[in-house]
Amino acid sequence: MRPPSPSIPEREFLFTALKQSLRLDGRSPLEMRTPSLIFGPEFGWVECSLGKTRVIASVDGKMVKPPPERPFEGIITIQSEISPMASSEYEVGRTSDEEVTLTRILDKILRRSDVVDKESLCILAGQRVWQLRLTIHCLADAGNLLDCACLAGIVALKHFRRPEVEVIGDEVTVHAATERAPLPLSLHHTPFCLTFALFPESTSSTSSTSTPVIITILDPSLLEYRLATGFLHVAMNAQRELCVVQKAGGVPLALDQLLPLIKDVAVTKVRELDAFVESRMKDDWEGRRKLVEVS
Amino acid sequence: MITFTSFPAQLDDYDYGATRHPPEVEDDIRMDMDEDDLDTAGSRLTCPGDYITSSQAFMRGHGTYVENEEVLASVAGTVERVNKLVTVRAIRTRYNPEVGDLVVGRITEVQPRRWKVDANSRQDAVLMLSSVNLPGGVQRRKLESDELHMRNFFEEGDLLVAEVQAFFSDGAMSLHTRSLKYGKLRNGQLVSIPPILVRRLKSHFLVLPCGVDLILGLNGYIWVSKHVKESEQEGEEGFDAEAVYSNQNDDIDDATRAAISRVSNIISILAGHFVPLTDTVLLEAYEWVLDQDIAVKDLIQEDVGDALVTAVVGVQE
Amino acid sequence: MASRIEILNEGGYRSDGRRQYELRSITIDLTPQGTADGSALITHGLTQVLVSVFGPREAKMRRETLHDRANVNVEVGVAPFSTGERRRRGRGDKRILEFASTIKSTFEPVIQTTLYPRSQIDIYIQILQQDGSVLPACINGTTLALITAGVPLLDFICCISGGVHSTHPLLDLTTLEENDVPSVSVGVMPKTGRVVLVSLETRLHVDRFEEVCRVAWEAGKVLHGEMRKAVRERTGGLVDAMGGVAGAGGAGRGGPGEGDGDERMVDY
Repeated sequence: MRPPSPSIPEREFLFTALKQSLRLDGRSPLEMRTPSLIFGPEFGWVECSLGKTRVIASVDGKMVKPPPERPFEGIITIQSEISPMASSEYEVGRTSDEEVTLTRILDKILRRSDVVDKESLCILAGQRVWQLRLTIHCLADAGNLLDCACLAGIVALKHFRRPEVEVIGDEVTVHAATERAPLPLSLHHTPFCLTFALFPESTSSTSSTSTPVIITILDPSLLEYRLATGFLHVAMNAQRELCVVQKAGGVPLALDQLLPLIKDVAVTKVRELDAFVESRMKDDWEGRRKLVEVS
Repeated sequence: MITFTSFPAQLDDYDYGATRHPPEVEDDIRMDMDEDDLDTAGSRLTCPGDYITSSQAFMRGHGTYVENEEVLASVAGTVERVNKLVTVRAIRTRYNPEVGDLVVGRITEVQPRRWKVDANSRQDAVLMLSSVNLPGGVQRRKLESDELHMRNFFEEGDLLVAEVQAFFSDGAMSLHTRSLKYGKLRNGQLVSIPPILVRRLKSHFLVLPCGVDLILGLNGYIWVSKHVKESEQEGEEGFDAEAVYSNQNDDIDDATRAAISRVSNIISILAGHFVPLTDTVLLEAYEWVLDQDIAVKDLIQEDVGDALVTAVVGVQE
Repeated sequence: MASRIEILNEGGYRSDGRRQYELRSITIDLTPQGTADGSALITHGLTQVLVSVFGPREAKMRRETLHDRANVNVEVGVAPFSTGERRRRGRGDKRILEFASTIKSTFEPVIQTTLYPRSQIDIYIQILQQDGSVLPACINGTTLALITAGVPLLDFICCISGGVHSTHPLLDLTTLEENDVPSVSVGVMPKTGRVVLVSLETRLHVDRFEEVCRVAWEAGKVLHGEMRKAVRERTGGLVDAMGGVAGAGGAGRGGPGEGDGDERMVDY
C-alpha cells in the first residue's frame, strides 16, 4: 500500500509558510537541525540523531582472504536496511525507492569515493586483509534519513580502531587492546551529505515572466520530505571536494540556482559539520583517556 | 588488446548520423520557427517545447500548453487552427475518443453491472449492462438474473463493436451497443493500425465486393470478416439472442478466408506506409492485388508492399 | 588506479581521436518496434540503448493508479552481452533499480501526467551496448520514445556526460574515460535552459564541477538540435505519407463520391 499522502490543509499551510520563508519547526530555510552524536563504549559504535531522526552505525572488522583479483586491498561492506521500525511507511521485504536511494548514495559516499585507504587494510598480500563491515541501522525516520545515516556512517568509520597486527614472515599476530593501543583507520577524507528539498513556488499570476522562483530548504523534516517536489543531495568534504551530487529529476532548476547551493551553502555547512564532528570526537577521546588512566 | 568497431546497420529512412563540436556550432534551434504564419498551418510541424504563438491572441487546445504568455507545443505533430483555437495534432498517439465514434474493442474484465473494454485508448472503456441490447426484445427490462449471466453475453476476450456514448469525469469513455449494427464480432479477424489513419467516413461498415465486411473502428482496430447478408443481420422483431451473442463462427469457405487474409494484409501494408485508410484506397489496392495476381502470403513481402503503395497512391494523384 | 592510457594527449586529442569537446556520433532510429506506441533506438558512439514506450494505457496494477495523474513506470534491462565481461544482472540489482528510479523522477515533471488520470505510461529500456554515458543515452532515448508515442511533454530532456581530466573538461565520456576521470551527467531542458538531472559519482573539486557543468549544459543544447532534427524528419515523413492520399484528395473524396462508392459496393 502506498502511504497516505499528507492532507490538503497540511500541505497548503506548509506551502504558504514556506512562501514567507518560514518553516513549521521555526528554522530558517537553510538551517540544519543540530546533530547529536552519542558514542558507545566500543570503538566504531555511534548513535547519530538529527531532531527525531535516529540512526545507529557500527563498524566491526575481521580478517578474511582477499578475492584473487584484488589481493592488496581490504574489503568494505555496507549494510543498510530501512526496517518498518523507522516509520510505518516502510514495509518488510519490499525495497522502497527510499531504500534504494539510501543504499546507493551511502555506497557512493562511503565506498566509491575512497574514504578508507583500502590498501592500508592489507595485512598479508593475497592471504589476509581486513574486512570492515559497516552496519547502518535506522531507528526512527523524522525526515532526512540519508544525511543522518551518512553522518553516522562516516563518524563510525572515524571512530573505529582496529587491533594492531604484527606480521613476521607468514605469521600473523593480533595484539589485544590491552597489549598495544588499537589503530585508527587511515581515511583519505571525510565527506558529509547534505539534502536540499525543493519546492516550486506555485505557478500563479506572479510567474508571468522570468523563471519561477524555487524555494530551497536544507535538511527537510518528514512533512517537508514528503511534500517536496525534488531533492538535491550533495556530499562533499571540508576540502571543497564534491563526492556525490545527485539531483535525480524533480523540479527543474536553472544552473544559476543550482550552483550557488553547492558552491556557497554546502561548502559552509560542510565546514561547520566537520568542525562539529572533530570537536565531538575530541571530547569523546578525552573522556576515554580519563577512563584508561583510572583503570 | 582487441578492438571492436561496429558498423551500425542502416535501418530505415529516419536513420541519420552526425557529429558536432558544441562550442563551434551556433545555436540553430529556433531556425525556422520564428515568424511562421499560422495561416499556412496545414504543414507546420512542431516538436515539444516549440513556440507556436502568443497566448494573448489565441486559445490553447490539445497538444499545447502556456508558459510565460506563449503557447507552446507539447507533442510532435502538425499545428491546426480553428478560429482562435490552436491545437497540435500528434502524428502518432493513442485513440482520443469523441462521443458518437464507432470503436471496436475487446472485453478485458467483467465487473458488477459493467464490462471493461480495451479500446486502444488511455484507459479501458466501460460498457454498462444497461447499455447493451439483451435477448428477448429491445425494450426488455433488466433483471437481476441478467447480472448473474453477464458472461453469457460478453466474456473476457470477446470482441465487440460499439459506439462512444459519453465520458466519465476522469475521461474514461462509456460505450453502448444499443443498435442492431453493434454487438459481438465473429467470423473474421482483427487488424490494428494507428488510429490517425482511420478517417471519419459516412459509414464505417464497409462491404467489399469480395465477400468481405469491414468495420473501421475509429480507435484503429479494424474488423475484417465474412460478409453477412443484410436480411440475416436485420430484423427488429426476430432479434435472435442465440445469433447475436453466439461464439460460434459460421462456415467460411476457403475463397472467403483467402479474401479476408488478403484484405487484412493490404490494411497492414497501407498502415505500415502510413497511408490513411478509406474505402476507395482499399478497393483500388484489392483490385491491384488481383490484377497482379499476387498470392496472399507474398503480400507481406516488403517489395510487394512498396509496389502496392506506389501503385495505389500514384493512382490517387 | 593510475592507468597507462593517455586520456588527453599533448596535441589535445583523446584516446579515440576526439577533441576535448567533441561528441561521439549519434544515430537515432525512430521506427516503431513491435506493438509499442513509441520507440527509439539511440546510439552514442558504441553505447546503444533501445527504449519502448507503451501508453498512456489502463494501469495493470490497480493499486498503483493515481486519481489525479498518470503513473509513470520505468523498467530497465541490461543485456548480459552489453559489457566487455559477460555478466547477468538480476531485476533486484540496486544499481538498476536506482537507474530506473532516476529516469522515472527525471521524466515525471516533464510529462504532462495530469492529462491522463488513472492511466499508466510504461517505459521499457534495454541497454544493448555499454561504452560510457549510459545514463545520458537512456535519458535521450526515453525523450525520443515518449515523443514518438505522442505523449505530451513540456520539453525535451537532453542529457550528456562530462568529465574533467586534471583541469580540462571533456564531453561524452567512453567507458575508458569514465574509469579514469570523474564524470558528471547533466540533463537539460533546452527551452528554459533549466537542469533536471545532475549526477556526479566521483570526487571532484567544486570549481571544476562548475566548469564541467556549464560545458555540459551548452552541449545539451547542441544535442537538442540533433534530436529535434530527427523528430522533425520523422514527423515530416509521416505527414507526407498521409498527405499523399489524404491531404490532396481527401477534400474531394469526402463528399458525394464516397456515397457512390458505398452503393456500388453493396450492389455486388
